[in-house]
Amino acid sequence: MAAQIKNLISSKPRQNGTCLRVGVGTSMAQHGELFQGQIEDDNDQARRCLISLPCAAMYSQVVFDPDRSGYLRVSPGYKEKAKKAVEVTLAYLNAEGIGGLITIESTIPEAKGCGSSTADCVAAAIASADAVGHRLREEELGKLVVTAEVASDNFMFHNAVLFAHREGIVLEDYARRLPTIQVLGFDTAIDNHVKTLEYPPAEYSWRQRQSFHALIGAVRRAIRTNDLELLGRVATASACINQEFLPKPMFHEIQQIVHHAGALGMAVAHSGTVLSVLLDPDDSFLDVKVEELRNNLGTLGISTVLLFHT
Amino acid sequence: MTEMHKSILDIYRPKLVPLEHNLTAAVFPFMKIFPAEFCVRRAREEGWISSQSLVVETSSGNMALGLAIVCNLYGYKLSLVSDYACDGFLRRRIEDLGARLDIVSAPSAAGGYQKARLDRLAEIREQVPDHWWVSQYDNPCNAGAYAFFAAQLIEGLGRVDCLVGTVGSGGSVCGTSVFLKELFPEMKVVGVDTFGSVLFGQRDQLRQLRGLGNSILPKNLDHTLFDEVHWVTAAEAYKGTRLLHRGTSLFCGGTSGAAWMVARHWACRHPRQRVVAIFPDDGYRYADTIYNDDYLLKENLHLPELPQHPREVNHPLEAHSSWSRLQWERRHYSDVVNTLSAVV
Repeated sequence: MAAQIKNLISSKPRQNGTCLRVGVGTSMAQHGELFQGQIEDDNDQARRCLISLPCAAMYSQVVFDPDRSGYLRVSPGYKEKAKKAVEVTLAYLNAEGIGGLITIESTIPEAKGCGSSTADCVAAAIASADAVGHRLREEELGKLVVTAEVASDNFMFHNAVLFAHREGIVLEDYARRLPTIQVLGFDTAIDNHVKTLEYPPAEYSWRQRQSFHALIGAVRRAIRTNDLELLGRVATASACINQEFLPKPMFHEIQQIVHHAGALGMAVAHSGTVLSVLLDPDDSFLDVKVEELRNNLGTLGISTVLLFHT
Repeated sequence: MTEMHKSILDIYRPKLVPLEHNLTAAVFPFMKIFPAEFCVRRAREEGWISSQSLVVETSSGNMALGLAIVCNLYGYKLSLVSDYACDGFLRRRIEDLGARLDIVSAPSAAGGYQKARLDRLAEIREQVPDHWWVSQYDNPCNAGAYAFFAAQLIEGLGRVDCLVGTVGSGGSVCGTSVFLKELFPEMKVVGVDTFGSVLFGQRDQLRQLRGLGNSILPKNLDHTLFDEVHWVTAAEAYKGTRLLHRGTSLFCGGTSGAAWMVARHWACRHPRQRVVAIFPDDGYRYADTIYNDDYLLKENLHLPELPQHPREVNHPLEAHSSWSRLQWERRHYSDVVNTLSAVV
């Protein structure tokens, strides 16, 4: 594993005779993705990729208390991916023989498409690097987290990026943050949990893969020009294509409600059950629209919503 | 695809030229290379062709040259069937690129040149078992090729309110529209056809204006995408082409002139809507014809002025003689054609 990471990242820092300290790391969550699809990279290789919808209203915080036991423990004990993230981070930093206790406190619901395990891994990687006195760069973080959990989200990046979530590669860096979006989020299925690695990856048709090119053209423009309306349209179009592969209950009813309220669009979790209605934070009718959305979603039995902005 | 292939394809990408405050032309040097390339690339990806396969197609125009370029680049053998409409310029380039070109000399008794070409194609397919027929009219990859163009339009312009283009195989207008409509479902689509083309319900006749229109209905034409359909004459399209050249220096083929005259009219009547017109090829092939006044006078194709407005018609068969417009309203072909016409 360590050799694999060394191959991934060429400039590798050395850690010899490190002073250990208690390391801390935090990560925000996401609330589904603005886009998920499959795009050919510069070498014509089709890469599965996504753009997370970041959500700072939920977070994971990791404290890593290191020792020289060489034995890692994690609490809660089932958070194996976070432990793996610490392992690969320490290996990457050449911090050998280090063990310790990884304590995770997270407010992020699991298996909903909120990136709970990515957030745990990001926070754990930051905490373990911190424990050996190192700050990871974003691209290092991206690769380490993917190594730990196979498929990851991309909210660890400051800028908006198109992220190949199975390889941990940034396909496109939009060189600026996502514009601020007001989100009304909710869970479409309270009982229905999705484990990211347990469902088969979507088998997109060539026609759908062509559509993704047009959607990415729109993403580039929307981020460059702060065009929230266009970004909302991209999210809705991506949601519609992916509805074929991981259907959300009441999708069409929700779509009508979103359209009627005059929202920008809707973003779904492409491996989860949450859905985000996207709104313009500067919309002078924002309160009215939120009220209408709450009322109409209530008629579908959706009564708990989360309001946040990106 | 190698770096060289990519760079060569890049040469053919359209430039977006703002002609009016709300009208942008997508000026292709040679649009047909894109559907040709995508059809061949998909065939290779799907294993429909091997390096030894013979690619075959019937075309009298730019698709033939597009395939000749692509098969030359990718190293496939190509056999094309064409007719008198394949001019010397096309013939020389196609043959120089290493493709075999069969010109049928006489129309078939029933079905004209189109049928004669298909008959000859059937013979070739019989002789060479390891062949792959591109079938541009029915191959969905023809339309599917235009995603890159939709992406370029959206990235460059943002929302598009109306797309205007000439229709022949249905590939460019329908393909581009489908991808744009995934983001802008309310976008208007205006198709430009010519008299004597069956695409939008006229009766099949020999047509002077080439590069648009058809004698058969291609599967790539989805009528329900269209809000408006216009029919123009060769003389009008050529006049439009010349006015475009004089007014902007854009040196384009006759289909560009046809698209431009319709798009300009539409943009003028909808000043707050962003209109895109597709200009499919450059003018070099037409230097001796469209750009030659002697030729135009001799062929009785010289027009002093363009009509200010199209004639409004309620049925395809009411359209004749000069620029005509029908509100298609996203209807199915049969729903339009089977309505009663005043002249039938």
